[in-house]
Amino acid sequence: MNRRIIQILFYIIPLPVILASLFIGPSHTATPGAIMDLFLKTSDDSNLIKSIVFDVRLPRILLSFLVGGSLAISGCSVQAIFRNPLTDSYILGLSSGAAFGAALALAYSFLPVQLSAFIFGLLAVSLSYFTARKNKNVSIVSLILSGIIVSGIFTALLTIVQFFSDPFKLQSIVHWTMGNLHNANWEKLRSSVIPITVGVFVIFVYRWRLNVLALGDDEAKTVGINPERDKIIILIAATLASSSAVAVAGIIGLYGLLVPHMIRMVTGPDNQQSIPLNFLFGGTFLLIIDDFSRTISSFEIPIGVFTMLLGAPFFIYLMKKTNIGWNN
Amino acid sequence: MSITKTICYCLLFSYTTAFISCRQSVSNTPKSSSTVNVTDFRGVEITLPKPAKRIICLIESALSGIYMLQAENQIIGISSGVYNKSTFAQYAVLDERIKNKTLPAPGNWDFVNIESIVALQPDLVIIWASQTESIESIEKHGIPVYGVLLKSVNDIYKEIHDFGIMTGKSQRADSLISYSRNEISQLRSTIKIAEIEKKNIYFMWTQGLLETAGTTSTVNELIEFAGAKNSCRTSKEHVVINKERLLDWNPDIIVMWYDPLKSPDDIVKLSEIQHIKAIKYKQVYELPSVFLCDLWTLKFPYAIKQLAKWCYPTSTEGLNMDTEKQKMLVKLYGEKGEKLIK
Repeated sequence: MNRRIIQILFYIIPLPVILASLFIGPSHTATPGAIMDLFLKTSDDSNLIKSIVFDVRLPRILLSFLVGGSLAISGCSVQAIFRNPLTDSYILGLSSGAAFGAALALAYSFLPVQLSAFIFGLLAVSLSYFTARKNKNVSIVSLILSGIIVSGIFTALLTIVQFFSDPFKLQSIVHWTMGNLHNANWEKLRSSVIPITVGVFVIFVYRWRLNVLALGDDEAKTVGINPERDKIIILIAATLASSSAVAVAGIIGLYGLLVPHMIRMVTGPDNQQSIPLNFLFGGTFLLIIDDFSRTISSFEIPIGVFTMLLGAPFFIYLMKKTNIGWNN
Repeated sequence: MSITKTICYCLLFSYTTAFISCRQSVSNTPKSSSTVNVTDFRGVEITLPKPAKRIICLIESALSGIYMLQAENQIIGISSGVYNKSTFAQYAVLDERIKNKTLPAPGNWDFVNIESIVALQPDLVIIWASQTESIESIEKHGIPVYGVLLKSVNDIYKEIHDFGIMTGKSQRADSLISYSRNEISQLRSTIKIAEIEKKNIYFMWTQGLLETAGTTSTVNELIEFAGAKNSCRTSKEHVVINKERLLDWNPDIIVMWYDPLKSPDDIVKLSEIQHIKAIKYKQVYELPSVFLCDLWTLKFPYAIKQLAKWCYPTSTEGLNMDTEKQKMLVKLYGEKGEKLIK
């Protein structure tokens, strides 16, 4: 299929998927027919259905979309500034820092889980950055290395918290680290929408500079760009968006790595085109995965499991059918 | 020489034969009356030469059972969780050594310090049956291990019965078990509810609104003994459900496990579940204390009564929970139960 048509499809598809998702769910009361009646106002007894659709499904759908979009767009921007196809927004220790923060809050209840995950996620990234900083310069290699070290430290701290937790708390910690959207509500959505929007907006504004940065620092300087400053701005934006996503949805592993590659296979390496598509497709794809996750069984299966089970075969299919797109 | 030698050989042969026969007769002797035999939850037969006098108990609920049997002097080691949990105050009343933090704690539900256990020279270790690696390591040192796995009320009875045999307190164990059975059957005769009128209960664990117990759990038995129905019909012990399911089930009552950080008011305020009957009619309750309502001990009839009272206030009008608490603590813990009431 023509690339242009696929791109147009990616722009169009989120809205129908969001609408269709409103009709999908495990409830035997809020069936598609009952929801249609609700919209057409032909049913009198619609309070429960209204509650299911607008208080349970809609915030979860919107949160899934935002989380998916922000992880994908952050992953794409991080891959561009590090000029490394194997990185994602978790590379600087964000996921392990957030997991430690969440575990600490779940085990000792000193802070709300979401806030604690957010604070420790940002703390881990800041630690990685300042560890790598030398003579007011941050080299990519030392940043990735310090990210790995900081990640290791927070993973060790997480293990300590798990070790001292009782079985029930341990179960909650494990659930959190596997990613979950089942606790989605309007409050969570409200708390994450501003930082995610700010982060995504900054990356969107800087999307053309990502193309220049991807060429290397010297090339960037020749066109009047300050690569260090821009990298930091983009890194802060990506961290803000992804840490807010992790705080509300837990760790959805490899999503920020897979989706940018999927988009690149379709659109090529131009970040100006792929950045908005990453957000739209990332959001839509996670929403589709969550639709499966919440309807397939009578109990909740962590979304992190499905992103891999459904995302990986799709990724392999694209990899076989198209070019990986990194060197295009 | 030959005659003397022959006599010597004959004597040696006779002594050897007599010695071997003697050894064989000893090993074939039926187990003496003081020998203690029980089969634990792994299906492993535990044989003790005599009732255990030096017990390490690494399960908090099982420890409670040993205090009920009044065998606390036989305890030489406990789970480290006892010192950290909210139930510490009650155990401090039951045992001065716990109050003074002098009773060794060589492990907990997932970690066991083998060196500390061996150093304490126990004659019995009580531990979760799922801790297979720790069990193997302890048994390698020749220490008998009783593995516990509780899935139903009958398992609790079996546990106490076995503890009674192993501590030499069988009579007390049987008396406590029959007390517990009677309490439940009396309550059940009070609240005979037709299937159609049974209240629908949603049980909520401390981890959050959506964490509940399925049909293969002691919680399910708790609900059924109270004459009600568990909203969650999933055959899993501990399960995270979808919010839509909860709205579909529309429970009459929500029962929260004791949570120091949350109250029923917090649940009633949740906007997304306002259409549930339990929220509309403010039928959200919290079990009063982990120690009093421990579902893995003989104290569970207290929790059943509390549930029945919330579900069927008219049929259970005569039940006064304060009196019930006092009666139960005195019956289960004897004199120390009176201290617990205070």
